[in-house]
Amino acid sequence: MFPRRYFLRYSAIAMAGLGTAPSWLVRAAAQVGQTGNKRKILVAIFQRGAADGLNVVVPFFEKLYYDMRPTIAVPQPGQENGGIDLDGRFALHPSLQPLKPFWDSGQLAIIHAAGSPDPTRSHFDAQDFMESGTPGKTSEDGWLNRALALDSGPSPLRAISIGAQLPRTLRGNHQAVAVNNLQQFETRNKEMAAILETMYASTADSRLMASGKETFEAVKMIESINRNPYAPANGAQYQGGFGNALQQIARLIKADAGVEAAFADIGGWDHHVNEAPQLTSLLREFGASLAAFTRDMGDRMEDIALVTMSEFGRTAREDGNAGTDHGHGNVMMVLGGPVRGGKVYGRWPGLGPEQLYEGRDLAVITDFREVLGELVNRHLARDVSQVFPGYIPGAPLGVIKS
Amino acid sequence: MKRLGCLWSLAALLVTLPTFLITAAGRFDQKLSPERQVIHVLNRLTFGPGPGDVEQVRKLTVEKWIDLQLHPDRISENPVLENKLKPLGTLQLANWQILEKYPPILPAFVVKVPTMPPLAPQQMARLLNCSAEERQTMLATMDAETRRLILAAGPPPLLEGLPDDVQQEARKVRQADQEVRQKESRRLMPPLNELLSPEQIQTINHGTAEEKIALLNSFDAEKRLQILRVISLQSLTDVPQLRREALTARQPQEFVNSELIENKLYRAIYSSRQLEEVLVDFWMNHFNIFNGKGPDRVLLTSFERDAIRPYVFGRFRDMLLATARHPAMLYYLDNWQSQVPRDDIPFPPGVRRPGLNENYGRELLELHTLGVDGGYTQNDVMAVARAFSGWTIYDPQKFAEFQFNPAVHDRKEKVVLGHAIPAMGGEQDAVEVIDILAHHPSTAKFISKELAQRFVSDDPPQTLVDRMAATFTKTDGDLRAVLQTMFSSPEFLSEGAWQAKIKSPLEMVVGAVRALNADVTDVFILAQKIADLGEPLYGKLEPTGYPNTGAAWTNTASVLGRINFATALTAGQIAGVKVDISRFNFKGPAAVAGEVLNMPPPPSMLTAIEKGVQGKEATPSILAALVISSPDFQRR
Repeated sequence: MFPRRYFLRYSAIAMAGLGTAPSWLVRAAAQVGQTGNKRKILVAIFQRGAADGLNVVVPFFEKLYYDMRPTIAVPQPGQENGGIDLDGRFALHPSLQPLKPFWDSGQLAIIHAAGSPDPTRSHFDAQDFMESGTPGKTSEDGWLNRALALDSGPSPLRAISIGAQLPRTLRGNHQAVAVNNLQQFETRNKEMAAILETMYASTADSRLMASGKETFEAVKMIESINRNPYAPANGAQYQGGFGNALQQIARLIKADAGVEAAFADIGGWDHHVNEAPQLTSLLREFGASLAAFTRDMGDRMEDIALVTMSEFGRTAREDGNAGTDHGHGNVMMVLGGPVRGGKVYGRWPGLGPEQLYEGRDLAVITDFREVLGELVNRHLARDVSQVFPGYIPGAPLGVIKS
Repeated sequence: MKRLGCLWSLAALLVTLPTFLITAAGRFDQKLSPERQVIHVLNRLTFGPGPGDVEQVRKLTVEKWIDLQLHPDRISENPVLENKLKPLGTLQLANWQILEKYPPILPAFVVKVPTMPPLAPQQMARLLNCSAEERQTMLATMDAETRRLILAAGPPPLLEGLPDDVQQEARKVRQADQEVRQKESRRLMPPLNELLSPEQIQTINHGTAEEKIALLNSFDAEKRLQILRVISLQSLTDVPQLRREALTARQPQEFVNSELIENKLYRAIYSSRQLEEVLVDFWMNHFNIFNGKGPDRVLLTSFERDAIRPYVFGRFRDMLLATARHPAMLYYLDNWQSQVPRDDIPFPPGVRRPGLNENYGRELLELHTLGVDGGYTQNDVMAVARAFSGWTIYDPQKFAEFQFNPAVHDRKEKVVLGHAIPAMGGEQDAVEVIDILAHHPSTAKFISKELAQRFVSDDPPQTLVDRMAATFTKTDGDLRAVLQTMFSSPEFLSEGAWQAKIKSPLEMVVGAVRALNADVTDVFILAQKIADLGEPLYGKLEPTGYPNTGAAWTNTASVLGRINFATALTAGQIAGVKVDISRFNFKGPAAVAGEVLNMPPPPSMLTAIEKGVQGKEATPSILAALVISSPDFQRR
């Protein structure tokens, strides 16, 4: 009858009194903060490979868009395979139909002509710069790790990434866990695990001791989460590998595991050849899964902000292979309860020859750190200067309700 | 009484304090016992000891064994290795041979997209800019073929204002073209369920290796190729020869890289010249190249063979020059596109002018020679880039050979780290830069420190690094001499270095395979496991390479990943790797641990096992898995 999180909290306290509460249980209670307010959660999604922002959120009011993309432009709203009209100027790619309800209800905000001021068109460098939060150079740690607050006794699952590697975005001083697959994040043999935990706790190497401790705590936490069967709520239907990743994040958040920062990526956006059908099917997985996550989280979206980004956009003109080359400005999306949605933010630079960056790409009008910085500042209530060193934010966009 | 107690405690403190000080600060001058020395040199100069290695080193003596490893030509190679390497046909090929046989995209896969016909520039300009009536007239006067091509591939402005029947014609032509393309695409790569019956698909997914081979042999050559193009590689895990064929059929360049990975892993596991293999791994990492960047995927083969391996016991300057000239490096760090800005050539507005690319110049200073704190400035980076302008690649997709292009070389004077390189030089400018960098004192220190990090400890004593740097300078960069200084130093064979390093995923996986004396017939899954643990071979995106220090390998995913790998390995669940666990039968934890670690197991390990097992019988494979998962096995 009581919500699960309250049960955890009071049982943890009761058990702690007996000195028997496992530390993970006490931490799970930490999902509820001291004042009873639930912690805010920031989910960062990286589209690796330079997604074609101009075809994701289409500036259908621009004639030049159709001139420059005779083969691959998304048709006008109302036409066959046409875009989904948002505000008379911009339209969603038809595959993103599942996101339209959130636009209408004010939970989806779009920032166009956004990105990094750094001129690089190298995937590797640009991803590094964006994940470090320091355009022009790569930092050892990532912006989202720096955005985590100094905390005593945080959950071992406070910062999670779905995938085999820990992305640069989440690398840093605060412990972050890479989970490839929740179901497999366990030791096959429980007796073995107990023996190994003892070994790691008594090893002479401090690094192994520390990471061993965190590992076994995270494993126990996830094992107990895995024991509860999970079904997405509200008829949410995740799609593909990306959907699977979001579903795992949803599951961990709903299990009150103390998640504060989560990360997932989706690749395959580098469409130099034959873009249109590839983008159509990739956006289907992308849109359906983002919508499923929002639907699945339900009321808990009040505390969640999800932001999407890509290292740069693509050329305004299509190339000779019905595709596009590496570009500059791109589109970012923010989804969640705290979002002031239903609006396309940022000044639109236009697609004329003098308005394009280097005569070929959509320009960057809004620095990506404006968007992320506002999320860090208003949603996570953290100091932006600690997260984006050297960056001086402008006037707030107003994407997050204050 | 209380005061006496105080005095006793004080006395006890005074006695323990000095010993504490010695153990904390002086560990690098505490010599390892002879028994520990044997294990230590095996841990550091090889990818991990296997059965019999300890006795071999002990018999030869540590000093003689190290000297032997420093002169691999005196070691006869393991015949098992030669058998494993024989089928790897791409390893000895030249770049152009690889590129011809294994092109980036097989011609078979390319479906031609219509392009505008080759009209004269004036005609094209008129066509695009004139009025609708003029366009109509022009189209009417063209021959049928050209007209069709223009209607099929022309941009929409071309069709604007033209009468409806012409528009209809254009639409029909485009639709017909698209249908042809779709048909062609399906012909080249039909889906699997069109090629095979449901029973046959069952065989592919769940049959034995023999059944799969028999099935594919039953088809003619063309159908066999079509199937191999679309079949999932995972379903061929147990049939290496079919998997190789499939990879060659659809991703030939990945196949080439897969042979290089096989070469690396088989050598690491089976070579008797272990120090050479450890050093090739070290230098390939120092001069990192990413296999995902264009032709680098196949150029890595000759890079490792020709620019790194021959020099690991030679002169640093020679290796540096070889890497600078190699097309793989010129491509990876973009120097092949670096050109002196040409103000004399007009460029249309909006088109990006080619110019200098500083990427290689920067990384050459920062990562390959002086190090980020080595004392260079942005001016030095630019001067180096200017010196290297013109060092390019002849036809990277077909021949990929070094070429110097004087037309794009910057001929002005350059000042690099205080050395003036006079104007009007050519290809030699960059060679002079190589010499300047190779002889710079910061390079001696930077290289020495990196070697000491790999072989001694994450934070090696400055005294050792200084001594190695002195040898480097004195011998003009003789890498064998620097290694000798390091291996004969008191710091190397000290308590401070003992078990101080954490194994990288490669070292851990290969070390486990060697410790268990596994019989490896296929390394595909092993390579996947190493990648899962965070070190995809040849797959490091950034020029920094994989870290030489342990912090990167101690995180939750690592620890759990290694435990799960150890369990799978000892349970015989890794395809291509056979472990004979029966040699641990009837042996207790201490014996098994001793055999796997090749040294007496630490008491903490045995206590943990005994307590956890608590009288129950622990199977040999569980015991072996526990040892390989243990923190002690992660250290070397």
